[in-house]
Amino acid sequence: MKQILVLGQTNAGKTLFTINFAIYLGASDISLTFQDSHRGSYTRTLELEAAKQLLVSDTPHYTRVVQSAVLELPWGKGIKKFEIVDTAGLMDGIHQDPQIRRAMSQTLAVVRQADIILHILDAAKIGKNNILKTIGEVDFQVAQFGQLKPGYVILANKIDLPEAMEGIEKIKAEFPGHQILEISALHTLGFKKVKEFVKRHL
Amino acid sequence: MNQERVFSLVENGDITVSEALSIIRKSASEGKISLEMSKENKIAEIQQELNRLIGLESVKQLIHEIYAFVEIQQKRVQMQLASEPVVLHMIFSGNPGVGKTTVARLIGKLFMEMGVLSKGHLVEVERADLVAEYIGQTAQKTREQLRKATGGILFIDEAYSLARGGEKDFGKEAIDTMVKTMEDQRNNLIIILAGYSEPMKEFLETNPGLSSRFPIQIEFPDYSSFELFKIAELMLQERDYQLNKGARRKLYRIIEELKAAETTNFGNARTVRNIIEKAIRRQAVRLVNMKNLSRTDLMEITEEDIQGEVGP
Ligand SMILES: Nc1nc2c(ncn2[C@@H]2O[C@H](COP(=O)(O)OP(=O)(O)OP(=O)(O)O)[C@@H](O)[C@H]2O)c(=O)[nH]1
Ligand SMILES: [Mg+2]
Repeated sequence: MKQILVLGQTNAGKTLFTINFAIYLGASDISLTFQDSHRGSYTRTLELEAAKQLLVSDTPHYTRVVQSAVLELPWGKGIKKFEIVDTAGLMDGIHQDPQIRRAMSQTLAVVRQADIILHILDAAKIGKNNILKTIGEVDFQVAQFGQLKPGYVILANKIDLPEAMEGIEKIKAEFPGHQILEISALHTLGFKKVKEFVKRHL
Repeated sequence: MNQERVFSLVENGDITVSEALSIIRKSASEGKISLEMSKENKIAEIQQELNRLIGLESVKQLIHEIYAFVEIQQKRVQMQLASEPVVLHMIFSGNPGVGKTTVARLIGKLFMEMGVLSKGHLVEVERADLVAEYIGQTAQKTREQLRKATGGILFIDEAYSLARGGEKDFGKEAIDTMVKTMEDQRNNLIIILAGYSEPMKEFLETNPGLSSRFPIQIEFPDYSSFELFKIAELMLQERDYQLNKGARRKLYRIIEELKAAETTNFGNARTVRNIIEKAIRRQAVRLVNMKNLSRTDLMEITEEDIQGEVGP
């Protein structure tokens, strides 16, 4: 099964995007496979709205485990299944909490095999603040890494917020030559383009 | 640098995520690792891992044959041609430390990727894990292990010890339970019986029914002195150490001596590992009170670090 990886800094909206994208593609629930280094791998099925309540938060580094869901897309006469993987947020520097470092190392462990990378940036935050503080070295590294993959795209998120306008301009300037799609994970804006991108690159 | 190593550096807080990404990207663009993990790639990677094992040429050849056979049978099924039954239970014979478990683990992964096994994990057991002390409990104990191994490989070390006590021994009950499961549950479990060559041969001769149920019989030869030396070098390399000239000569001599003296019960790769680990500790003791150590100093194992007799 092909794998789509959702990557980005903490709070970019990875988890909300993953869940709302699942809803958008017609899934009714999401089966999350947790990769926990203490308990091994275990699965929980959550109704999508409940998942949103439980897994989305503006607390930094909220997602600590690799969470994945199997989704379907119409494909010719049939359907094609693929896996979308929500990951723990990445950051510059070294976090002092070993749990967060472990979560990031787990994210890295899945980066390699991914077929498609959706790199989420918080366009509102970038619009509001200095890019030196909002676009990290880690984002540039992810973008460079993405070039080795058949499907790499930047999703400029939170375009429902007014500051995002300026953010998108900054992102375009910082990542020339990369495809950038504008989305709102919250209001499912721009999802059609993401779906088309995924379909093209699966 | 190996991938797992990169992840653990991040986990330990030794390097940043950016640094890790850049390392992975570089080794990918230099072609050292592949990024697309399609089924074919995963299989190719496992085969590479197998081929990287030192020596074991006949084993590698045989596994490639099994792989090809299974792959072609699967293709024939797809084309609705008559296909041979694929029975993948195996006998691994050879001395300890010749790579039996390593190979079993790789076979598990390989069959998982090929869709023969659902999980491909390895459950290693010996007599005590299968045989109970009281009547009637052995079947249950054995079934429990079989259940754990379902989807992967049940690797029974010194399997002939199950026949040790003769007809009345509970070991027989374990064998019967195993055989029954093999028949009921044809797919999704591979059993490997492992052990020394001679007792294994006797075991199969006295249980002719088993021989046909384990059609794949692989003999693991002992490593040659040169192969063992290569293994030692590889083990050191993985740990960022290297032997200087004197140390190379001494290590090779020790390996040859151990091999020549058959009485020493030379445990192959395991003994080599012990010598290496001892050398690393001795190097540390040699260096600990020195000042201004260079990178080379920290990496270099010298003649005096290498010691033949393997103590604690
Ligand atoms: N306005 C707005 N808020 C959003 C959008 N996407 C996400 N958010 C909010 O941003 C916060 C973080 O969202 P998450 O999806 O949990 O972020 P994450 O990237 O998974 O974060 P970590 O798990 O900590 O790495 C939440 O409060 C979301 O409600 C969006 O498109 N618009
Ligand atoms: Mg999250």
